[in-house]
Amino acid sequence: MLLVIERDLRRFIQFKFIIILRTIWFAAQVAFFGLIASRMVVPELADIYFEFYVAGVVIMMLYSASVFIGYDIFEEAEHGVFEYLLSLPVSRKELVLGRSIGGGIRSFILVGPIIAITLFIIGLANPLNLLVAFSALFLFAFGISGMSITIAVTLKSGDRFDIFMGVLSALIVRLSTAMYPQAFVQDANQAYAAFSQFNPVTYASDLFRWGTGIERYLTMSPMPLAAIIGIVIFFFIFTFVGVTFYEKRLEGGGWQ
Amino acid sequence: MKAILHLIEHDFRNFFRYKWWLAGLISMNLADLLIMAVVYDRMLSPEIAEQIKSYFSFFAPGVTVVGLFASAFMIGREINMEVRRQIHHYMLSLPITRLELALGRLLAGGLRGMMYMTPLLLTTFLIIGFPSLPQLFIILGALFLLATGISGVSIAAAVSISSFEKFITVRGLIYYVLFFCSSIFYPLSLIQTLGQEGIMPQPLVVLAELNPLSNGANLIRAFLLGNPPFAFDMIRNLVVFSAIFVTAATIAYMKIIEQK
Repeated sequence: MLLVIERDLRRFIQFKFIIILRTIWFAAQVAFFGLIASRMVVPELADIYFEFYVAGVVIMMLYSASVFIGYDIFEEAEHGVFEYLLSLPVSRKELVLGRSIGGGIRSFILVGPIIAITLFIIGLANPLNLLVAFSALFLFAFGISGMSITIAVTLKSGDRFDIFMGVLSALIVRLSTAMYPQAFVQDANQAYAAFSQFNPVTYASDLFRWGTGIERYLTMSPMPLAAIIGIVIFFFIFTFVGVTFYEKRLEGGGWQ
Repeated sequence: MKAILHLIEHDFRNFFRYKWWLAGLISMNLADLLIMAVVYDRMLSPEIAEQIKSYFSFFAPGVTVVGLFASAFMIGREINMEVRRQIHHYMLSLPITRLELALGRLLAGGLRGMMYMTPLLLTTFLIIGFPSLPQLFIILGALFLLATGISGVSIAAAVSISSFEKFITVRGLIYYVLFFCSSIFYPLSLIQTLGQEGIMPQPLVVLAELNPLSNGANLIRAFLLGNPPFAFDMIRNLVVFSAIFVTAATIAYMKIIEQK
């Protein structure tokens, strides 16, 4: 399994341009949108909105980096690498779990420098809280990778996967508290608030904000327990559903 | 002229091959409008609310321009692929002059942007209200200039950069800088205030003011919302932007595809 994880990490380093692109996106989000939007919002939110938004951008990055493993799976299917992977002395379960964990770890490697910059901007109130938040965020990243693998092997078409993930990302991020506090989502639309309440991106955003000391406008209560439980459930569902689906599809050329 | 029409038809056929991509783009644009803008509407400070009335109405022209930009920019991706796979040799063998080839691709890119943008513009009209007929013609003319200019930027980048990865990186840089340093998401006055306070560097404030996406979005807002007021500078900036990049892309396309 460690070899599978190492392979996925090595592959990710090859995509330097994605790392550069994501860094440019983060810089633009923080230096333009975060800064300017914090002047646009109501006074009771304005004093912390910049920090609130920057923390949300980190979670958006973690989400999009974790999803990337699904694109790798399609590329491998196109280039016939699946057959090679199946011929290795690695069990199907180890292969899928390794890919899910590798996907999660490499997204943390990508987001690591961004988290460091974010902590420099926001500051660090309680290192122990941050450590607890990071542990849960690892599970969030593994869960998102598992979700991406599950969808990739279910859809089987690269085009459909691309569009599905685009739509899903658009909805999952916007219907969460990554960009705005739950109180305003509730005020805007009850249905949006219901989605946002049960969204892993909301749990992850809450945890990261709690870990960095931005405790106003948290959605979940009691913190951090409620958010951690949400993330653990999400992680278990998608990792094990992902393992089952991937295992079944791999046999007999079912991914083709 | 007939050759240009053939090229436009060729590029439109290619455009419809990306139906999945287009569906994804529309979903993202609509999610921005129907979710993000609705929530931000509730978060506006009283001063900004007085200035723009509703974020939802303010953002609708912005998202129209975002859609126009993304779809007009797609032509660059195709041309970059043609150059890398040397399909341009086939294009050069056709009984079409180099100038017609370059202009055909530019116009096709712009028209594809206009076609994609139309449902978004109609949604904006349904949300905010319809302009008068002369205003509609000015909006369509200005957006066509914007789309052709964007198509020019993407073609110039596509033929100047041989590596796909570098092209994607440059495209990302252009996207993010033009999207976020503009009045698509927030009023220009906020950027100018940050500039006066010394928080935003002056060159970025000037870029936001001259940004064709700011001018395109503000022109629609001027006619539909009355704020910011209409100024001829908006059209002048779009004409200058379009003229520069159409010329640059035409020259670059004609020169570079012959060299390789």
